[in-house]
Amino acid sequence: MRGLVAGALAFAVFFLVQAGGFHWVKISRRALTLVGLWVAGLPVYVWLYVWLPEDRAVWPVALAAPSDSITVLSGGLLYFFLFMGYAQFFYMAESSVGVRTMIELASEPERGLTLEELTQRYRYDWMLDRRLRRMIHAGYLIEEDGWYRTTHRGRLTAAVMAWCKQLLRLGPGG
Amino acid sequence: MLKGLVLAFAGFAVFLLLHVLLFRLRVPARRFMVMVRLVFALGVLLTILHRLTPPDLGFLPPVYTLAGWAIDLLNGLLVYGFLFIGYCMFYFLVDRGFSGRMMIEIESSPQRRLRPAEIAARYSLAMVLRRRLNEMLEIGRITEVNGRYQNTAKGRSAAAMFANVKRFLQLGEGG
Repeated sequence: MRGLVAGALAFAVFFLVQAGGFHWVKISRRALTLVGLWVAGLPVYVWLYVWLPEDRAVWPVALAAPSDSITVLSGGLLYFFLFMGYAQFFYMAESSVGVRTMIELASEPERGLTLEELTQRYRYDWMLDRRLRRMIHAGYLIEEDGWYRTTHRGRLTAAVMAWCKQLLRLGPGG
Repeated sequence: MLKGLVLAFAGFAVFLLLHVLLFRLRVPARRFMVMVRLVFALGVLLTILHRLTPPDLGFLPPVYTLAGWAIDLLNGLLVYGFLFIGYCMFYFLVDRGFSGRMMIEIESSPQRRLRPAEIAARYSLAMVLRRRLNEMLEIGRITEVNGRYQNTAKGRSAAAMFANVKRFLQLGEGG
């Protein structure tokens, strides 16, 4: 339990700092900030692990484990996985078109909206531009005189994605 | 606690294999629901296997078999569950990723380069929205009557929750 409790507490600290930070400061480089805060939380995990008592001192036998490398690893994995799960939720809130659609529909609870009315509420050029800029920044695309082409990294990623889509028969998607 | 971890990774590997096989053999109508059911069924099997097998699984070093059974199982199930959540992130990126689709469109164009207007022509906003609306209809977040879409109670609470998160974290309108 020592590792799991330390991992969960370290994530709670990360979560509070992240939520507070994003609430009080307008952050533009969100991904970098999220990852930076998570990395900064690793020493917190180690400190919490060292600070917590041995399992046998507080937990029943069935829930007690020796403080070995597997226990440290398990807590670290929990801290990592909780972050990954939260990142998924964060990006759903931040970028998901589906979430945005539900919020738009919530503004017209009585009449609802047609597909045409919904499309008028979006700025598609802004949506595209935002994603293109992100991909350039992440090294997937290059922009030359208004044309966008993939970098080596982008080509590889596109190939892997296309292969996975084909393997799972997901269709063109997007 | 090594037994739980070994079973978790093995269980997830079996999930991946069955998931690919199922999707290859017959495209399920509700893909994600099939994935959730499969991972849940294997999770139950993993729990049973954990209780029936010896602490060393017949090959683990004795030094890593000293943990209590409950913590070992809990740890294994957590890792198994989170591996699935992590995989979902990848799956949705492949299936629904807007950016991934744009890269594939650029790569498959004759000159392997596109202008934003050409990307928009190949994948219009109406196409993007129609796909999301169909998915939300399937999972019961919205309804459609005479071409008008409305949130269900489930959709309303999800919309309110995400709107609050967006506001609290200053994420902008997004989408």
